[in-house]
Amino acid sequence: MLGKDQRKFRAIPWVLAAVLAVCFAGFAQNAFAKEAFAESVFAEEAFAKEVGAQEAEVAEGEGEPEVEWSQDVFYKDFEGNPLKGIVSGYPAPELGDSDYNNYDFAPSRMLLWMANQQHLYFGSFVLAVPIFCMMIEFIGVRTKESDPVLSAKYDKLAHDLMKVSLTAYSWTAILGGILLFTFITLFPGFFKYMAGIFRPVMHVYALMFLAESGVLYVYYYGWDKMGADPFLKWVHVSLSVLLNLIGTVLMYLANSWATFMQAPGGIDEQGRFLGNIWHVIHSTLWNPVGVHRILGNIVFGGGIVGAYAAYHYLSAKNDEEKAHYDWMCYVAMFIAIFGLIPLPFAGYWLMKEVYAFRQQMGITLMGGIMAWLFIIQAVMIGLLFFGANSYLHNSMARVKGAHRYMKYCKYMVLLLIVCFTMWMTPHTIVMTPAELKAMGGAQHPVVGHFGVMSAKNTAVNLMITCTILCFLLYQKANKKITVPWQTVGNCWIAAIFVFAACNIVFLGVYGYFLPANQRVGLSVPQVTSTLTTLFAGMAINISMFKDSESYGDIQWGTLSNVGCYAIFLLAISFTWLMGLMGYIRSAVRLFWHVTEVVRDNSPDAYTLTIGEAGKMLTFNTLFVWVQFIVVFWVGSLTGKKKVAEARSPEGVPVPAQQQ
Amino acid sequence: MNKTLIATIILAVVVGVFHFVLRPIFAIDDFSWVLNQYVYFLILVLSIVAYNLILKLRPAMAWRGGVVWLTGLYFYKFILYPPVPWTLLITYMMLWTIGTFLYVSQDEATFKEFRAPLVKVVIGEYKFARIVVFTMMPLLVGFATYKSLIPKFEEPVELRTVHPAPPATTKVHGKTYPLEEISNPFRVDEQDNYKDSFPFLDADKSEYMKYVTEGGTVFFQNCHYCHGDQLNGLGMFSHVFNPTPANFVDPGTIAMLQESFLFWRVSKGGPGLPNESTPWSSAMPPWEEHLTTDQIWKVILFEYWYTGWHPRTFDEESSVGE
Repeated sequence: MLGKDQRKFRAIPWVLAAVLAVCFAGFAQNAFAKEAFAESVFAEEAFAKEVGAQEAEVAEGEGEPEVEWSQDVFYKDFEGNPLKGIVSGYPAPELGDSDYNNYDFAPSRMLLWMANQQHLYFGSFVLAVPIFCMMIEFIGVRTKESDPVLSAKYDKLAHDLMKVSLTAYSWTAILGGILLFTFITLFPGFFKYMAGIFRPVMHVYALMFLAESGVLYVYYYGWDKMGADPFLKWVHVSLSVLLNLIGTVLMYLANSWATFMQAPGGIDEQGRFLGNIWHVIHSTLWNPVGVHRILGNIVFGGGIVGAYAAYHYLSAKNDEEKAHYDWMCYVAMFIAIFGLIPLPFAGYWLMKEVYAFRQQMGITLMGGIMAWLFIIQAVMIGLLFFGANSYLHNSMARVKGAHRYMKYCKYMVLLLIVCFTMWMTPHTIVMTPAELKAMGGAQHPVVGHFGVMSAKNTAVNLMITCTILCFLLYQKANKKITVPWQTVGNCWIAAIFVFAACNIVFLGVYGYFLPANQRVGLSVPQVTSTLTTLFAGMAINISMFKDSESYGDIQWGTLSNVGCYAIFLLAISFTWLMGLMGYIRSAVRLFWHVTEVVRDNSPDAYTLTIGEAGKMLTFNTLFVWVQFIVVFWVGSLTGKKKVAEARSPEGVPVPAQQQ
Repeated sequence: MNKTLIATIILAVVVGVFHFVLRPIFAIDDFSWVLNQYVYFLILVLSIVAYNLILKLRPAMAWRGGVVWLTGLYFYKFILYPPVPWTLLITYMMLWTIGTFLYVSQDEATFKEFRAPLVKVVIGEYKFARIVVFTMMPLLVGFATYKSLIPKFEEPVELRTVHPAPPATTKVHGKTYPLEEISNPFRVDEQDNYKDSFPFLDADKSEYMKYVTEGGTVFFQNCHYCHGDQLNGLGMFSHVFNPTPANFVDPGTIAMLQESFLFWRVSKGGPGLPNESTPWSSAMPPWEEHLTTDQIWKVILFEYWYTGWHPRTFDEESSVGE
């Protein structure tokens, strides 16, 4: 009877999950597609207001109109004319000396940068960890019947991660408070303007924070209680979905402030709010920044958890611990690489939208004052791919049966280096006049061709394809395929990769013969080729594992030290790169607080030299890692206590007569 | 005899023969698909791999790592032509070094094998090698110090911003032009046939070709002294400028820019560049003081026609229609 009831109830979490998925899909659709329906509703509302205002004017028959209409700086109507809206706010202030405060020991801009960056680092970590936990816990629940031991391991891992995240969550809130106070005290004039426009968003943000905290506490503290019953366990998994949903909304709301500052919408040229808060939130860069940040958070979180596990692996005192942390490294790296593969594409989308918003902003980023920072970014991205592949190669070495594929590693490294050389070659080379003369011109006749996007796109797609291939080989490493169609399957995988590589190279070369606007379009089939190798290749690969025999289990706990250091490299690179790209995105506003609307009249309205920016980024990276170490240490205190409690009976001397 | 030693001797002989005998044969001035330095390099690498496989030498991992690294250095120093600047060479070699490290550290066993001779040198098992290495080290440091301190008379290298960001509008001959909206008035004929045609090499369009010819005349009267008669930035005065004048044939210059950008750049020249990332190093005069607006547009038309590039265009802005 009870079992029957339970079976009935088991449908509920699925329904709950489906409802959440529908909500999420609805939200995502909103976020990704600038939904036409909502827009038309707004347009109708605006039209109705206009008609209403005109009628009121007619009814009164005299006097000044009660409402003032103005043109949006960004949004346009169906005919391409600027969209009109009712003026609902004050003009942007002309900021003067009294609108800026400062301390003697450091420029206000640096202090705000530091406060902002530290909060963002922690914010992205606490948003990433619940995504991990959701995935890991879900895998744990799904594998419970087939492999209860592994299932328990997954569950414990997710729980441990949440424990760390809980401490980091409070820390994030404290850093958020510091950021807020820094903003209010050092930039009061600008903050007043932002608060005037985003007033309701800020309140919703605070309320969402409350909801996030509530769900987080129920999720974490209810772990053990809800874990025993299968129905409650599904409810618990559903809570993680809800937690992520709220977290994503929180992040999108906070993003709207930054994207508004960079590419404003919903205001007129004087900076007056035009009454439609959705237009202010949903400015042109909102969607690409949101997607880019979600992926970036996953990669960053993976890097941190990986580094945490790698440190424990290197300092582990017994084989059991080594095996556990080796496995944890693997899970974290798997998730990080999973996020890393689509990340460049989201970046391209963001840049495309920046160019579409203001061409000069795009040029400042890619060819102007920020261009050298993008070269540094290229170096860092290359390091990420090197680190990821190095980890995969070293991981593969500890899998029995991997010797069949290890011989291909060197060729993959060669391909990566060749692609990275293309990726890294700048269009404008730093050189002395003598070198310029020796070269015969500003562009090198051979490597000069690598300086444009056709070559860069080709290189990055090939690097990603190579990483995917490496991962497929890793998956296959200890499998002895037994399905009758294994030859056909292998041929298909090979054909997909060869065709994808040829297509990517062909399109890259073809791009040189096309006008720029058509050339940009070639990146879509290139990306499609890359993603086909990922999805189709992995689908065929996994299908071939059916009834496969094993060459032996993965020897967890035998990862080489180089593999561990590759993880550290990844984690530090992620952190530094995140700071760098955040700086570039923010600094491209140059002397504007809000582009073309609120001018930055503070003494800090200058662009830093590359060296100064680099120092600041390095400081932020080191500072946040010191904090992460403290947070992890605090998080480990509970664990140590439990271990001590569990082990204490062994340490107690047993009287001889009781033996 | 030690196989690594045999491999080293054979390598020295093979590379010597290739470098001093075969290389001059392949490195001829006129480019040929068969006789060029890249084919030479490919044959050299394949030869090294082949004799190692045939003789089953299988030298030590450290040796292989060293040879791989030197192969990269040889390519960038002697094969890639014309020689790349120092900064690029350093960048490429840094990448190649990382690649070599990935190669020797792909798994625990390989890395251990690679490290073994290094460890033996450090701990003194290879006594002679240790003496050589630890004697050379201070000498190398001294040499590097000498190289960095010796006075040089070359201009220092500088990081340069290539594409200045244009302003939203520009005022030429008393008229204000919004740069994101304007297009070349001579690209569109009366029937609007040339707007999207590509390539612009269609000589049948007589009216269009008339404008191109007029633009060409202006170019050869004013611009080719610096930008070159082939528009490759190698005009007769180009060598006295640093940076050299823009090379329009290169895919990274006018091919990536809107015509309105060129209009602004040509009109305002070096003095009209924005404050952002000053000081600029542009010797181009503000041509609005010498040419009419129409002449500026026509010369731009000519530059695209001659090089075969299509000016940069953008899709409609995402905000339209909302």
